[in-house]
Amino acid sequence: MRRGGVRVSHAGTGRAPAGVVDPEAAPAPRPAVPAPSRRRPAAARRLPYLLVLPSLAAFATLLGYPLYQVVRISLLKLDLGELIRRETVFVGLANYRSILADRFFWSVVLRTVLFTAVSVTLTMVLATLVALLLERLGRGLRLAVQISLVLTWAMPALTATVVWQWLFDTQFGVVNWLLTTLGIGEFGGHSWFATGLSTFAVITIIVVWQAIPFVAITLYAGLTAIPRELREAMRVDGASPWRAFWSLIVPALRPLFMVTCFLSIIWDFKVFTQVWLVRQGGPNRQTVTLAVYAYQEGIATSHFGRAAAISLVMVVLLLTALVYYIRLMLRTQEDL
Amino acid sequence: MRPATRKRLTAGLVNLAGVVTLLAFAFPVYWMFATAFKPSRDILSYTPRLFPWPPTLEHFQHAVSRPYFGAYVRNSLVVTGSAVLLSLLIATLAALAVGRFEFRGRKAYLLLVLIVQMAPFEALLIPFFLMLRQLDLLNRLPALVLIYFIFTMPFTIWTLRGFVVGVPRELEEAAMVDGCTRMQAFRRVVFPLLAPGLVATSIFAFVTAWNEFLYAFVFMRDPDKFTLPVWIASFRTAFGDDWGATMAASALFTVPVLVFFLAIHRRLASGLTAGAVKG
Amino acid sequence: MKARYLIATALVAVLAAAGCSSSKSSGGGSQTASGGSKTLTVWLMDGSAPDKLVADLNAEYQAAHAGVTVKYAKQQWNGIQEKLTTALASNNPPDVIELGNTQTAKFASSGALADLSGKVSDLGGQNWLKALTESGAWEGKQYGVPFYAANRVVIYRTDLFKKAGVSAPTSLDQWIADGQKLATANKSNGRFMPLYLPGQNWYFMSSLIWDQGGDLAVKDGDTWKGTLDTPQAQAGIADYKKLFDGLSKAPADTDEATPQQFEVMAKGNIAMMIGLPWELNSAAGAAPKLKSKLSAFPIPSHTAGQTAPVFLGGSNLAIAAGSKQQDLAYDWVKLLAGEKYQTRLAKENGVLPNSSSLAGSTLGDDPVLSAMAKGAQNGRITPNDPTWAAVEAAPNPIKDMLTKVLSGKASAAEAAKEASGLITEKMAGS
Repeated sequence: MRRGGVRVSHAGTGRAPAGVVDPEAAPAPRPAVPAPSRRRPAAARRLPYLLVLPSLAAFATLLGYPLYQVVRISLLKLDLGELIRRETVFVGLANYRSILADRFFWSVVLRTVLFTAVSVTLTMVLATLVALLLERLGRGLRLAVQISLVLTWAMPALTATVVWQWLFDTQFGVVNWLLTTLGIGEFGGHSWFATGLSTFAVITIIVVWQAIPFVAITLYAGLTAIPRELREAMRVDGASPWRAFWSLIVPALRPLFMVTCFLSIIWDFKVFTQVWLVRQGGPNRQTVTLAVYAYQEGIATSHFGRAAAISLVMVVLLLTALVYYIRLMLRTQEDL
Repeated sequence: MRPATRKRLTAGLVNLAGVVTLLAFAFPVYWMFATAFKPSRDILSYTPRLFPWPPTLEHFQHAVSRPYFGAYVRNSLVVTGSAVLLSLLIATLAALAVGRFEFRGRKAYLLLVLIVQMAPFEALLIPFFLMLRQLDLLNRLPALVLIYFIFTMPFTIWTLRGFVVGVPRELEEAAMVDGCTRMQAFRRVVFPLLAPGLVATSIFAFVTAWNEFLYAFVFMRDPDKFTLPVWIASFRTAFGDDWGATMAASALFTVPVLVFFLAIHRRLASGLTAGAVKG
Repeated sequence: MKARYLIATALVAVLAAAGCSSSKSSGGGSQTASGGSKTLTVWLMDGSAPDKLVADLNAEYQAAHAGVTVKYAKQQWNGIQEKLTTALASNNPPDVIELGNTQTAKFASSGALADLSGKVSDLGGQNWLKALTESGAWEGKQYGVPFYAANRVVIYRTDLFKKAGVSAPTSLDQWIADGQKLATANKSNGRFMPLYLPGQNWYFMSSLIWDQGGDLAVKDGDTWKGTLDTPQAQAGIADYKKLFDGLSKAPADTDEATPQQFEVMAKGNIAMMIGLPWELNSAAGAAPKLKSKLSAFPIPSHTAGQTAPVFLGGSNLAIAAGSKQQDLAYDWVKLLAGEKYQTRLAKENGVLPNSSSLAGSTLGDDPVLSAMAKGAQNGRITPNDPTWAAVEAAPNPIKDMLTKVLSGKASAAEAAKEASGLITEKMAGS
């Protein structure tokens, strides 16, 4: 008997369910906020603005001003000399022109986009699986897995990168040793960092490995909040886990999926430390992502004007890519 | 297959998957801890030694006997704690506003919070440098507090908003009907319900600030102002990398986060999901 | 009422933040403290000067300059580029700094360093090693004071050499022949390598290129051009490949520091490695059993009887242009660059002092150090230009070229042409 899709409202008021909820009925629309009333005293009308004021002030001074500076610097020739002598050399859009005309730059953009797509997909898929797994495990094993997830997430990026590099080391690595011992092939002395693709694979493993815990823990938390009655109802109906997943879990967790995916895209697009530490963009510049490129032009070779321009281009790319996403997010969260 | 057998098979598979997952995440962490205890000559060896034997504490001793180590710990704790508190304080105010009130510009504000997360923090190094130079805040710890605060605040606002929305308005209204002022209602009713959310959000902010390296390294000049991430990186020198000490330092570094998590993990679930899932 | 409360809270928060920044200030740098006493901030790099030497020097300096305290901070090489950039651009830069000789031109041309041209004779500049002096000069002015130098030698296992019946070679061909004899004598050891030569040891490759008459880059009028594709440079690269293919099993895609080659040597399966004297000491430190079995010979030239030109790595001392205590800083530099401490530095650290007259007297006895001094007679430096630092910064096109050639991915000619183009490009941006 087909119960049909469970309709779960995304109103986001998140009230703990009072009891059995009829999955078929659409919940009565509750406004999440009171309708503005002209009878509210002036002070109360001002209140939200006052509450928001400190954060706005912080954004303006601590983020707005530096961002304005980035824009300004991107229009300057700011190398080490100009920085030290405190000179301002205005060059207009020259930095942008030289970057956008550089074929290497576009290969870096493509590479960054592909890397982000792969990392985010892997992160979301694997994290979802881990979250689902966490739900089903017994208490002891679940806590053990949770602890290992937290330790993974808390590990400094430097340390995680170093450890994974060791595991894949050409001469002393566990991976080579394991593969050889298991008889999969002769991996003694095999270099995982000889080609760009192979190096990127290792980098992806490092980034995804440390990204999964946050998403998995968040999604698991979301899973535990889905009322048990609904899960029971699905099971009693004979719904397969697959159907349960798509009909119940995905809609219920959609806000969490969207937020974690959004953040993952931003973080993986901007990731720097791990990519840099592995091979500094090598071998042969084949793992240079936009963040690495900005760093190389910036602090490493002191072309701060160009670096600022690259960073702005990065932000613009992210914005354009996510504009649709943001609109979707804002629309699906009804109370926004 | 009989249902009982199928059930056991499924349970067995689930447990297997659990163990595999545990290994996948725990093994590199284990490697870090194991290396911290391994005698130096075993750290880089042709046949990987899975178990440190005989275990040694020399790396830990070496790592913490750095001059200024006490200062590193103090600085990290103070800077991270201050940044997190400041972030929570101001973000709570903002979250209350967007979570409870309807006002013009609310959507725009939320959009701003979302978009701000795209700010390229590594790229702001030079602009922050110019700003701090002007304010004469270079080589002063409050500079880091401000930077970490602004790094973590957008995410904190967004997450806290979810919690605020999750506190039923009826409770607050009931309290006010009973004669409480809005402030009293907040203090007595909303805040206690918000507390798990505050704690849950703070762990994210904590880890972000606790682990930050680049700004701490570049802007703090005197050793007595370094933070722990700088300390961890200091064992890799141009003359050789003391891997034992690096791993020992990293192991010690992750302990506070682990403790924090263990303390709150039960609240974490209820905290994170309030407002995100509707039943 | 509640609005007021909230405004108050917000204001308090902002004020607290502001208050924190003024009350927690403990200041830094070399501002004059109360009471008229002065602080001189000195930055030296890790490994450059033994702590005791600096302590003694500071004591002597402070005794001679009443009311001045020296604040000495040892800096790490990793990340020094970032630190120096922000420190020298700040309002109170450190007074005395140490710069690697390949970095000096970059900071000199930016105006961050004080011009010391007038003080050169006072510092004994006429005796300075020529290559070092060159590295501290820019557009005819002297900004860097040579601090010390070191160059690579071939570090080898005396016991393995004896067993195989070979002795320190004096020509490239003999070197290869010796290596092959070592390989035969140690056939039973699967992990044995006559020479540990990772693919990206471009400093050593420079030696081979210079030995054949080529160079890394050459100034053509106003611009620098990468010259790795000239026949002479190609001959040098071919020599590297000969050594790499014939004598080494090290990876083609790493340099001598990843992993640290002295650690690999300490495992006991390697007969030779090309490194600096400190690496010998580190290898002995990691494997005490090898301590008495390590020695060194200068890198042989392909011309029998001569040593190959070597890259003279080293550091210069400099005074920040923004330092408010130029005279005090100068006195400190003069002391460290003077005969007394240079002699001590050479003896205690096993490096070349800045003056050629001292070099002979201080390093004569130790075989390793005299091998180094012998090689240093033929010392060269990388192109002395502010833009060279950009070539060395990752990604280093020379390293990439070596890996491509040695792993067979590209012919030497193609790879060199590409690398030369990249060098030219990197040296074009000012």
